[in-house]
Amino acid sequence: MIRKKLTTLLALLALATAAQAQTADELFATVRTKVLQVKDYVADVNMKIDVAFMQVPMLKGKLYYKAPDKMKLERNGGISILPRKNINMTLSNLIPTGKVTVIDMGNTTLKDKKLRLLKVVPDEDNNGIVLTKMWLDEKELLVTHTETTTFNDGTVIMDLDYKNYNKYGLPDKVKIFMDLKEYKLPKGVTMDYNDVLEKTDKDKTAKKQKGTIEIKYLNYTINKGIPDAIFAAAKKGSE
Amino acid sequence: MIKLLSLELYKIFKRPRTFISFGLVTAIALVIQLAMTAGGKDFLSFGMQGITEQFDVNGNILNGYLVAYLILQSLLIHIPLLIALVAGDTLAGEANMGTLRLVLTRPVSRSELVLVKFMASIIYSLLLIIWLAAVALLLSIVLFGTGDMINMKSETFILLLKNDIPWRYFAAFGFASLAMSSIVSLAMFLSAFAENAIGPIVATMGIVVVLTILSNLELPLFNLIKPYLFTTHMIGWKGFFDDPVPYAAITRSAGVLLSYTAGLLLATILYFNKKDIQS
Repeated sequence: MIRKKLTTLLALLALATAAQAQTADELFATVRTKVLQVKDYVADVNMKIDVAFMQVPMLKGKLYYKAPDKMKLERNGGISILPRKNINMTLSNLIPTGKVTVIDMGNTTLKDKKLRLLKVVPDEDNNGIVLTKMWLDEKELLVTHTETTTFNDGTVIMDLDYKNYNKYGLPDKVKIFMDLKEYKLPKGVTMDYNDVLEKTDKDKTAKKQKGTIEIKYLNYTINKGIPDAIFAAAKKGSE
Repeated sequence: MIKLLSLELYKIFKRPRTFISFGLVTAIALVIQLAMTAGGKDFLSFGMQGITEQFDVNGNILNGYLVAYLILQSLLIHIPLLIALVAGDTLAGEANMGTLRLVLTRPVSRSELVLVKFMASIIYSLLLIIWLAAVALLLSIVLFGTGDMINMKSETFILLLKNDIPWRYFAAFGFASLAMSSIVSLAMFLSAFAENAIGPIVATMGIVVVLTILSNLELPLFNLIKPYLFTTHMIGWKGFFDDPVPYAAITRSAGVLLSYTAGLLLATILYFNKKDIQS
């Protein structure tokens, strides 16, 4: 009798697990579809780069994005700085495409919000992504936090805040936490001035290898089509 | 006093060698501008390797502001040498020509004569810096245009916005003028001891070269004396291209340079007043 009950219980547990795994797969697929529906956008942005070895003021400009991986920040003739391709600032580049294995990690609370945590492992090489952890708002189908481990660029963590463009899964504010390599030039070449006299706070922490980039999206123009020539100009400018 | 000053300026600018300095500054600036036109992008990609490995940097990076900064950096040692050419000649040159005694027979005190020669040399160095600003900054802007400026320090990468740059150059040239006044007073101080201009000119150049090397050597022993060397503070103009600008360090550097200028000028006046002038 006890054995029969135990067998039934185990069978139910297995069924429940299978059902939840399917739900996780479906949830991921739905969110991915929502994120990937944005083929291109132009957005007015304010970008703040906080990296120990960089002193960069708030950059205001127009951010152009075209799926799958084209991005350009235009600053009315000024110099623009964006993370390299692999550490892309767009969520669609941090969500693996193609065949993936989705592991449901259950519900969790992050910043007082109840979220569903999924681990996504690409089955094949996917833009250098090894593993993506996604914290999902199931109700709104929005990704509010991601941790993506890449082959070459360490771990990229993203915090996403939404307000006006939930429908497209586009955030109003993104904060990216990146692993960075050390930056150093020979002192004999640079002939720094205040080296022996006074160091700024940033100089003192120059060896820390973490950085954050915060982008505020002021408005979006979505899926209106962007010619490739715009991105070609960016590539030419960087050569 | 003004008549005496105009006479000293006439003496400086009637000599063809005075204009060699202006020619050399122009030549160095043009050579660097030409080199930047031909291979500036390769030069930049080497310097920015640590940044471009991790970030995409786009836009008109090689613009007039950056080229002018590179020219100024290259001329760190040369400009003081060109100023020594004139300031080192002020007293010793007259002694060599035998006109110093003649000048002092006029109703002018020795202190006044030193001060007037100092002021004339300062005016010369100011004109040289204004000329440098014209060929290094204005010509670079004409050739390469304007834009945001990057400043690569040994451990920091700085981006300055286009509209935030002109005042920095204005302040940097102002600071450079202050730095050059310490060279003028050093050259004049050495000139007071000599009967021939070559000695003080070469001695000034030697002191500047040796102290510049000491200021840039990364050895603990020299780190102790670096804050007291005027050559360490002469590059204070670069502080205006930091963000935030290290005003405390710049003020301290300006203080050190002014102290050197005033101290050496005072020492020159004291020595010259007691000097037995025989020629």
